[in-house]
Amino acid sequence: MEVTAAATEPRAPAGGETAGGETAGGKTAGREARPPGLPALRSRRWMVGPLLASPLAAFMILFFIVPSIVLFAYSFWIAESYHFEPALSLRNYQKAFLTPIFYSVTWTGIKIGAITALLSLLGSFPIAYYIVFKTRSNAILYIVVLTWFSSYLVRIYAWRTILGSNGLINSGLQSLGLIDQPLEFILFSPLAVVITLVHIFLPFALLLLVSALRDVKPEYLEAARDLGASFAKTLWRVVLPLTSTGVIGTFMFTFVLAAGDYVTPQLVGGRTGVTTGVLIADQFKKTGNWPLGSAMAFILLAVFLFAYFLVLQGFKLLRWTPRSRWH
Amino acid sequence: MSIRKIWSVQDIERAAFGDAGGVSRRGALKTLAAASATAAFGPFAFPRPARAEIGGSLQVMAWEGFDLTNELKDWRAKHGVTETVAAIGNQDDVQAKFIAGNPPTIDLAEYNQGYNHLYGDDLKIIRPLEMAKIPNYNAQDIFPGFYQQPSWYWNNTQYGIPWTWGLNSLVYNKTKMKAPASYSDLLAPDLKGKIALVDDTLATWPVAAAIAGFGPDRYPNLTHEEMAKVFDNLKAYRDNARVIALTYGDVISMFVSGEILAIFCGWSGIPVETAKQKVETAYVIPKEGATMWCDAWFTPISVGNPDTAYGFINEAISPTVQAQMAKAVTAGTVNKNAVALMDPDTRALFDYSDLDAVFKDAPLLGIPPRKSDTLATYSDWVDAWNQFKAG
Repeated sequence: MEVTAAATEPRAPAGGETAGGETAGGKTAGREARPPGLPALRSRRWMVGPLLASPLAAFMILFFIVPSIVLFAYSFWIAESYHFEPALSLRNYQKAFLTPIFYSVTWTGIKIGAITALLSLLGSFPIAYYIVFKTRSNAILYIVVLTWFSSYLVRIYAWRTILGSNGLINSGLQSLGLIDQPLEFILFSPLAVVITLVHIFLPFALLLLVSALRDVKPEYLEAARDLGASFAKTLWRVVLPLTSTGVIGTFMFTFVLAAGDYVTPQLVGGRTGVTTGVLIADQFKKTGNWPLGSAMAFILLAVFLFAYFLVLQGFKLLRWTPRSRWH
Repeated sequence: MSIRKIWSVQDIERAAFGDAGGVSRRGALKTLAAASATAAFGPFAFPRPARAEIGGSLQVMAWEGFDLTNELKDWRAKHGVTETVAAIGNQDDVQAKFIAGNPPTIDLAEYNQGYNHLYGDDLKIIRPLEMAKIPNYNAQDIFPGFYQQPSWYWNNTQYGIPWTWGLNSLVYNKTKMKAPASYSDLLAPDLKGKIALVDDTLATWPVAAAIAGFGPDRYPNLTHEEMAKVFDNLKAYRDNARVIALTYGDVISMFVSGEILAIFCGWSGIPVETAKQKVETAYVIPKEGATMWCDAWFTPISVGNPDTAYGFINEAISPTVQAQMAKAVTAGTVNKNAVALMDPDTRALFDYSDLDAVFKDAPLLGIPPRKSDTLATYSDWVDAWNQFKAG
């Protein structure tokens, strides 16, 4: 009973109860005196949030923050044939920057990530808009998300079958008499990588955008229309600014995952298959140069952060971020 | 006395931690930390008590299809052995497990002959074998080329037991193209976009070196300039290739789907696998030759069940299991007595009457040096290979 009573109480200022059941705002004036022990409970209420967050926070600290710090420390060490020596050297960063292939494959990854993120965003936004504002049903959302029920690798191999020389597209075009020879550029090419990654990440993008658009009250759209704004202007001046956090988050989430992916490019990308991820993995597995692999990983992290900064600045230029805040 | 059905939180704490006032915050944190560490690292960090006889669980790291799951079924049943297999996709998967600080409890793993000194001397992840427990490995029954040779035996110590081998060479679709006489036949214009290389450096680098003029007498000890020449020479093959396949499984699926007609450097098992899917491929040794691979079992330093591991190795090189293995994976045997137990097709894969000639034509090669001031190191080769792949 005490807990129920406490839960229905308005939030008290820090320090708890005042004499006679009054709080600083006076909103509980006239109430009966609380049972002894209740102030103690209330004073601990601030702990609820941290307690609820603590399992995930502990997990992230233990398995992400700590390993990242260790990895960062490794990036300054010196390695030779699987033997690491603690040091404070920038040699690994220097070596990574002096490796021409590091630039070329990172640039390839950024291009693939950006195109995939843009296409996923553009492809999922109209669907999300329709789901949130035009229909009450989530059926389309479920259908799109249903593709997640198949394995990531199965989806990649499915695209290999579709895009292959004797695959669905080439066979179809040949049977229609539109081509004589199979179009070989559609498999083992950057195009194949982008097609496959968009298929994989579009449901992620859709879920994030649906969530973001549900924060926009339909009344705002009605108000904009009442004031004479066209659909495009409403989208440009009302919807996008209100959902900028979600849109940026969706773009960056897809971008980072696509640019960092190194399975899909290897399986359908042909020469595009060599990514920064492959270079990093090779340093850890093949050559035993963990410090160089760590340095490459942190350079990639810096590249992603810079890309985030650029996207944010782009949104600010377009005046799509009405509230200046750190996303 | 009936079973207590209702437990308060205090009852549970008392049962778990005794009557000393429940759980202190520090105690709970310690318990949580210990439980987390056990959950996270338990399978890897804590060795099992060593057994003194054959039986119990056996943790094996083996190439896919080379784990002897079927061939040693009776042996496992007889000794009550439960085998858990972790697949190797690339030889580098093996050392990656052991250099992370807490070596996992693995009883048996395989190494390619090129990795002998890296594993045995540099990384020191091999536990010297107790040969009295592997009686099947003896000079009478094992072919001389596989008995106490430098790839597995040095410093008067046996580090590995060779047990399966084969050749890396060209594989082609025999119904859609003529048998290539030379690797350079793959550069024909009508094969553009119809061939593939595979991302198997152990197989590809020696052949690439050979066709660039650096045969087994020179590879893997090449200078930086010579290494650059190898990859420059290989570019023509890359430019004629549809793809650099990730794995041999990938190669097989591309043969079957018709994406490729030939693979620059495959192995003798590919035709068997494509035949299962009604595609006829053949394995051919062009005039430039082929290279040999040989895998050996070794017991890692973190072995938890050594006697069962020795029993496994001993059985793996027995004549019956060797004959079955040779057929199953289209590979060669190391046991002389296994040859008579093979079917004619499996026996015909290699000339067992003159294995010296096989060794001469396709020698066992190492990998580039880990450290060198004058030669291109393994790390240099990996960098150059990635550069080559990215084009």
